[in-house]
Order: sequence, then structure tokens, then C-alpha cells
Amino acid sequence: MTRRASPLVRAGFSLALAVAVTLAIVAAAGAPPIDTLAVMAEGGLGSGQAWLRTLSALVPLLLCGAALCVTFAANLWNIGVEGQITMGSVFCLWFLRVAGLSGLLPAPLAVAGSLAAAMVGGLLWALLSGVLRTYGRVHEIFSGLGLNFVAMGVSLWLILGFWKRPGMASMSGTEPLPAELWLPALGGRPMSLVGLVLAVAAFGLVAFVLNRTFFGLALSAVRQNVVAAERLGLRPKRRMLAAMALGGALAGLAGGILVAGLYHRLIPSISGNYGYTAIMAVLLASGSLRFLPLACLFFAVLTVGSIQLPLALSLDSSLAGVVQGVLVLTLFAARRLWPAGTTGSRGGGA
Amino acid sequence: MDVVLSHIVKRFGPLAANDDVSVRFAPGTIHGILGENGAGKSTLMRVLCGVLAPDGGEITVGGSAYARLNPEAAGSLGIGMLSQDPLDFPPLCVWENFALGGGPVLSRGQATARLAAVCARMGFVLPPDGPVARLTVAERQQLELARLFDRDVRLLILDEPTTGISPAQKEALFAVLRAFVADGERVVALVTHKLAEARELCDTVSVLRQGRLVGSFAAPLSTPAILASMFGSQAACAAATPPPRPDPVTEAEALVVVENAVIADEKVVLEPLSVAIRPGEIVGVAGISGGGQEVFLRGLAGIAPVVAGRLSVAGRELAGRPLTRFLDAAVHYLPASRMEEGLFPGLSLLDHVRLAFPEQRDAARTIFTERCVGRFRLTNQPDSRAARLSGGNQQRLLLSLVPDDTRLLLADNPTRGLDAASIAQIWDHFRERAAGGAAVVFFSEDLDELLDHAGRVLVFYSRALVADLRSGTYDAACVGDLMTGRVAAGEVRP
Repeated sequence: MTRRASPLVRAGFSLALAVAVTLAIVAAAGAPPIDTLAVMAEGGLGSGQAWLRTLSALVPLLLCGAALCVTFAANLWNIGVEGQITMGSVFCLWFLRVAGLSGLLPAPLAVAGSLAAAMVGGLLWALLSGVLRTYGRVHEIFSGLGLNFVAMGVSLWLILGFWKRPGMASMSGTEPLPAELWLPALGGRPMSLVGLVLAVAAFGLVAFVLNRTFFGLALSAVRQNVVAAERLGLRPKRRMLAAMALGGALAGLAGGILVAGLYHRLIPSISGNYGYTAIMAVLLASGSLRFLPLACLFFAVLTVGSIQLPLALSLDSSLAGVVQGVLVLTLFAARRLWPAGTTGSRGGGA
Repeated sequence: MDVVLSHIVKRFGPLAANDDVSVRFAPGTIHGILGENGAGKSTLMRVLCGVLAPDGGEITVGGSAYARLNPEAAGSLGIGMLSQDPLDFPPLCVWENFALGGGPVLSRGQATARLAAVCARMGFVLPPDGPVARLTVAERQQLELARLFDRDVRLLILDEPTTGISPAQKEALFAVLRAFVADGERVVALVTHKLAEARELCDTVSVLRQGRLVGSFAAPLSTPAILASMFGSQAACAAATPPPRPDPVTEAEALVVVENAVIADEKVVLEPLSVAIRPGEIVGVAGISGGGQEVFLRGLAGIAPVVAGRLSVAGRELAGRPLTRFLDAAVHYLPASRMEEGLFPGLSLLDHVRLAFPEQRDAARTIFTERCVGRFRLTNQPDSRAARLSGGNQQRLLLSLVPDDTRLLLADNPTRGLDAASIAQIWDHFRERAAGGAAVVFFSEDLDELLDHAGRVLVFYSRALVADLRSGTYDAACVGDLMTGRVAAGEVRP
């Protein structure tokens, strides 16, 4: 009888417990607990500028979250999102240099093409993991993690070597792009809001593919029982590769938007842990697409808000990381303490 | 030792596996727990040996009552269970397995000496240093019995102990059990769904049906009365009358041709074999555990690859081809572990229909109503999840997902764990398919069932096809001997 209400009650319980534990830890660290949370919330949501900063963190999180939902639907732990973002940004800048800076294509076309190139970059990097999994029996967690480091190495090599600034290489990144090769601002700075439009569209596409197409149904079949999927002739290996490819393309798009819409150059660690944070967001939403945007927003606010802690309260900036970690950990622990009767479901329809 | 189960209740979700069951195990007797598959026999025995905690009732052992037992407590009270699948560690050797599992820590010398003592008493022959993986199922049973006897078990529970052993090995086991209770103090509880075994061995019998105790009998045991309580009076008639024999197949063109084919699983490689199967045949594949019969079925299904030789179905060469080619050639396989290999537990039944018939997925609801519900009598809602299906309904769903134009249907233990009504439906369905021109090849662990329904029997022993027997040329004893390698094929071929 109370079944309907229980998910909400559970979420409330988890959140209350998480906030309580976080406050206790913050107080133990000698910081004013309520003020700390207030500053974080204020820093993420308090003003128009704060909202813009939060949205600019939300875009890559939403894209990576959607990417993870696709691979998760096929029971693949795509831990390599970070590397896929990085390769996306590398391909994006490469295209902008080849087609845009050289004047080969008109600027708007070059920018659009660079986003497509970014998707290809992420896709190829993800497929590498996928092929290692399906044909090489290397688990995607290990290959993904390894490829993250390789991608980071590639980007550093480009920044300090091949694409270094004229005169001297710099850890601050490559030479900034001219303004005509930026994504149109669409009212947003620093982050172009075109990214937000693309992210929302990609999220809608993923929701449609997973819930309304035969491909989505086949992915959930692979997730549920790969042996049975094989026996039914659903070719699970190909489905897994397709899921990896789609996920990689979305993560690559996030990398492209970071280059063309935010930084306008390639910087070291451009992926900014969005790939890992998105994993937490997906876990927080229990893999459910319905709650994913909310979870992504939550992490975006945390990420952006915690930057304010050293400025506003002269707290050590590492406390922000502690607050984030404790909050997330307690949320997960609370859900274990009060487990749901049934776990995430898939809507019908094909 | 006097052991009494009083008013035991055990629920799994909405299902009451045991509903107010009371049984007394008197000293010096062999007590049979009878019932068809799914009646709650194994659950009751798991409660008795402490693996499951009951939701109600109590267990009285030698005068003291317990609300529940755990395996350790049950062991110290002298209750031991020989489970259906031997609980051993195949990579370890015999004495190591003997020394494991409760009791004092034994050195190699002590364990070997105690094992030798038990073996001498019981007439077992178990090499202490051989790996358990090389033993037959019967020997693994003996090893487990030896361990239980060494721990001085006084109530010995056996769960379907004759599954996978030959008739001769069964006789030896029964002799051991009779000797075990001969002191008038120890007790055996024998779980079985085979009435003949109970009649042969048991002094008293309790019958379970759908979780409830429906009858108690003492020797001499009357077959009709026990059958009536096991199945209900009407079904008893059906169970007692043998099914119609499939007609002998006339000389039609072979549907399946296997020539010198080597079928290789991940662990097992079969000897090269040749066989031809015609449309309309129902072929039973007999063999004990490790005989290779399951690998043969998987090879015909395209799951275990044919690495050498030929395999063709309806003229299509399939050796070495991927599974999808086998599906294209209308070859389908029903796995023994239905949920693990055949179904998607979290998906709805409707989604299963969509996945099996992708071209008609817009009509999935119609297909479900007409095919799954109408023809296969699946009783669940289209939106319920496969995880909630009972064993019988799992098999009904799987059968309904096999297309009608299937040429070769392979079934591994198609009736395992099912109730009488489902079993009857499955055999009717197989006969229907065969009459429609398909070939059905199945394996059943239950030799009696296999011989009842097969028009032809292929016998496997030690990873080789050792005999191809036509209907009317064999009986249970001869197939049993072939299965266990006691006679070579030439000796029984007419």
C-alpha cells in the first residue's frame, strides 16, 4: 500500500543521512558546517554567473552520463569515458587546425565538422576498449582505465610537442583559437550554450534509443543474460560494440564542446574528471535515465560550488573534495541500509 | 535416534514451499519423502539439516526441540545430508575432500587411515590420492557418504541419490543404506520422486504435494494409494499409463547427417561420431554425468563447435559455422538451466516475444495472446517479468519462443523440476512437432522417462557414442549397462 511512496521516502532518508554525516565531518575539520554547505550551494546556484558556471559543468556531465547509460544498458562498465573525452578534444582541435586555421573550410562549417571529428575520436577510443573486451577477453574496466592514461599522455605530448605554442611549450595549453572558430555563445560565456542544447538533444536521443527501439531492447537483453541473447541470435558482441561506439561518440562530443565551446584550446587533463564524476551520477540515479539529469545537476553544483570554499571561508580547497566524497559515499551507504525491493527497470515498447 | 519435524512452514516470497508439514523419522528405519518435482521435498530436508531456517514449526532431535538448526549444529547432532549434486571440490584429491567439511583437522596420514577404515566397512573403493574430478558420480557419492559415516552421522538424508548412477550402482547404494540402519538406532531419510525406489527400500513413506503433507504410508506400500496422493486421483491414472510409443520412422531422407564429426566443448572433446536422424524421429540421448551426451546436444545446436568432420541439417553444411547459421537452418535448443541460459529475468514476457520474433514485434501482444497463452497455456500476464515464472511456465515460454518451422529441436532435460501437468504437455508438444516433420533430440537424467518417450536411443559413455538403439531392441538394464561402460556396444546389438 505504501509502495508508491517508498522510493521518495528512501531518497529523503538517504539525503538526510548524507547531509548529517557530511555536516559532522565538516564540523570535525573545524569549519562552520552550515556556512560551508551554504557557500557551496550559493557558489553553484546563487547568481546568474554561478548558474552559467554550473551549466558549463552540467553539459559534459550530462553527455557522459548519457554515454554511460548506453554502455551500462549492455552491462559494460565503460570506465574509459575520461580517455574518450580527451581523444574527442584532440580530434576536435586537430580538425579545427586542419580545416579551420588553414582556411580550408568556412569557419562555421569547420566548427561543426570539428564536433563530428570529436565524436569520431571518442568512438574509436571506445571501440578499442570494446574490441579488447569482445574479442580479446580484456575486461573493459582495465582497458578503459589504461586507455585513459594513454589518452592523457597523447594530449600532453601534443601540447608540449607537436602543437606547442610558438616559441615555448606551456602547460597552460596550446595556442588559443581565434574567436571565429569558437562555438557560438548563444548568450552564454564562458561556456557556449550550444553545448547545452546538444547535450539535451543527445540525452533525448539516448532515452529514445534505449526505451523505444529494438536496439535498446536488444541491449537490455544482452545486459540481462548474454548467453540467452547469443542463443536467440541477437549477436551480443556486435551489440556491445555498437553500445561502446555510441557511448564513445557522446563522450567525444563532450570533449569537442570543451575545446570549441569553453577552453578554445587543448589543455592538459581537459577531461577534468567529468568521466569519473559522471559514473557517480549514473550510480546515484541507479542507471535510471529519469533521474540522471537531476543527479548530474547535483554533481555540477557540488563541483562548481566547492571552488568557492577557499575564497569565501578561506578553507583549504581539499575540504571541498572531502565534502563531495563523504556526501556521495553516505548516499550510497544509506541506500544499502534501506535497500529497495526491486531495482531499476526498463520501460516496455519497441 | 528419534527425529521429529513438527508443523514446519517455509515460505519463499508468496510461495509456501512447506506448509505445516509434520514427519517423524523413527530409529532403525528408512523413511521415504515422496512427491513430484517441486513438491517441497528438498526444502524440507534443507530445513532438517540446517541449511534453511524454517518460518514456523520446530525440529525435535532426541527429545530436545529447536526452532531452527544451522549446518554446524545439525552436524553435531548427527544429521548429515548427501545432496543431489555432490558437495565436493573436484580439483582436490580424495583424501583432501574427505578431510574437509567439519569435524577435527586431520593430517594426511590420519585422513587416509580413517578413509580406509570407512571404505573397508562399507565396501567402497576410493583411491585416496586420486583427484575427485576423475571419479564417477557414484564414486563421488561414496566419498561423501564415507565422510558422513566417518563423522558418525546418525540421521542420513539422501536427496535423489539415484540420479546419474546406473541400476547396478543403485543396488550397491541401497545395500549400504540397509546396512546403515541395521543397528536399529540410525535413520535414513530418502528423498525421491520415483515410487519404485521407495517401494524397494523404504519402511515408511511421507508424501508431499504442493508443499503440504498429503499422505503417510507404512510398508507394505500400495502403489495406487501413493500415486493418488502424489498426483491427485485423476493425474494418477495418467501417470500410471505409459504414453503412446512414437511410430517407427520409415525410410525417409535424413534430416541431420553427422559424419566423423568431432564436437569440442571448452572442457570436453568427443570421439568422432557419425549418426543420421530422420524427420519425425524422437531421439533420446542417454548417458551418465561426463558421458558427453550434453556436449553432443550442444554440438548439434551449434553451441559447442564441430571442429572436424561434417554436420548438415536439411542439406545445409553447418560444421564450424556460427550459431546464427544454425538458427537460420531452423535448429533450436532448449537449455536445461532455463533461466540461466534461455531467459532474461528482468525483461517482461512481451519483450521476450519481441526479441524472439523481431520482424513481428509490433504484433507482440497478439502473438503473446494467441501463441503463448492460447497454444502453450502460459498463465502469466504479458507485462510480468520472466524472473517470476515458475519452472513449468519458464519452459512453456521457451517452447512458445521456438518458431513453428523448426526442423531440429534439441532439448536438455526438458522436464527437469516440472510438475506432472507440465511434463505431459511437453511430451505432447514434442510428439506434435515430430508428427509435423521435425526431429526432436533430447537428453533426460531420468532413464525411465527417456526410455518411455524416445523412439530411438543414442547411448554415450566416456565421451563417445557407444550405441544407437532402435525402439524395441533394448530395456533399462541394457541401456544402464551401456551408459556405465559395463558392456561394450557389440554385446547387446541384436
